[in-house]
Amino acid sequence: MRGSEDDTHKSAGAELEELISRCALGDRKAFDALYDATSAKLYAICVRILGTNAAAEDAMQDTYIKIWNNAAQYSVTGHSPMTWLITNARNTSIDRLRALREDSDLADHGDVSTGPRMTAEQSEFSVSRAGRIKDCLSSLPDDRSDGIKAAYFDGYSYADLAERANVPLNTMRTSLRRGLTALWECMTQ
Amino acid sequence: MSEEFDDDEMLAAEYAIGLLPADEMEAARRRALSDPVFSARIAEWQAVLSEIADFESVTPPVRAKTAIMHQLFPETARVSVWRRLGLWQALAGGAVAATFVLGFILWQPGPTDQAGPLYTAEIMSQAGDFRVVAVVDKIRNEVILTRTAGAAPEGRILQLWAHGPDEPAQSVGLWPDGESIRLRLPPEIAMVQGTLTLGVSEEPIGGSVTGSPSGRVFGTVDIPNVSDSI
Repeated sequence: MRGSEDDTHKSAGAELEELISRCALGDRKAFDALYDATSAKLYAICVRILGTNAAAEDAMQDTYIKIWNNAAQYSVTGHSPMTWLITNARNTSIDRLRALREDSDLADHGDVSTGPRMTAEQSEFSVSRAGRIKDCLSSLPDDRSDGIKAAYFDGYSYADLAERANVPLNTMRTSLRRGLTALWECMTQ
Repeated sequence: MSEEFDDDEMLAAEYAIGLLPADEMEAARRRALSDPVFSARIAEWQAVLSEIADFESVTPPVRAKTAIMHQLFPETARVSVWRRLGLWQALAGGAVAATFVLGFILWQPGPTDQAGPLYTAEIMSQAGDFRVVAVVDKIRNEVILTRTAGAAPEGRILQLWAHGPDEPAQSVGLWPDGESIRLRLPPEIAMVQGTLTLGVSEEPIGGSVTGSPSGRVFGTVDIPNVSDSI
């Protein structure tokens, strides 16, 4: 998150931000450098979601093509560069995973850049949350943290998770919503 | 994140994680487009969740990069011509008319050897809310910009950027106010032969301090076949 990193990360973040803004101008060298600096991180996400196979490679390619095409929108998302890149890779991989499953209940995530820039106060507000999600997730009962991770990394909706656990949809939804509330309480403590 | 875990906060979390059925995902996505507070909540959850996606790096195969570069920047001239044609067809009628009118005046056989080509292009945001007509004058090595839609936000100014093929982008100059401005091309940009790319961003007063755009880039345009002589 913006402003949450230490000095080393901050300058790395500023460098990535500059590369993305140069991509927005059609600067191919900047894109080349951005790829070299981030592809191993983003590929790791594609591999986690899709496995080590052609689908993961395709998802990574789609991710970078979106990054190039949407670079001009980056500055209005309010995201840190890594959040934007990671969320792009994750959403692109999940969309591909769902397409592979031939899920009839298919919804593309679309662009990461859904809305306008966060205000300075909102960005500041988020600083205190940085780095706490992992601890907070592990403080939840296993079934709830596993459910949240399975939804985020395996593209399962409430309905999918209910079916897999063989419980009614409402039971799954109520349980995970409690998990999300607890997660939020932990992070805002 | 909000002070209180209300229904909207839950919806933002469920959307960012992807727990909802397709129709509800779509409804939330559409709402985010017009509701900045809700959109900011989603962005917060995306940021929080991106931290759990911090895995050990895996180096992708070299062919992946080759494939991306090939797809984005096809080297064959034929493809480039079609892409460029698309851009030129996208020009507003006014800009095209300006090309012919000004071109006619300048391409008159004259007594001087100062005649040089003139190129026009339009820089347009994807949403269409910002448009600038650019005329590159290779006689004087200047660019003349005219706004036909949109402006920098309150307290911000416009900045013009340019680069040649495979060259890093650099600032051409600031456009603090007014409908129109004339800027001298920096020597590196004046020397560009081939495709010249122009882009406009909005920046703090005084311009970007990073040497690259720091605000929103409204759009870019490629002007093909730029040269010093007609």
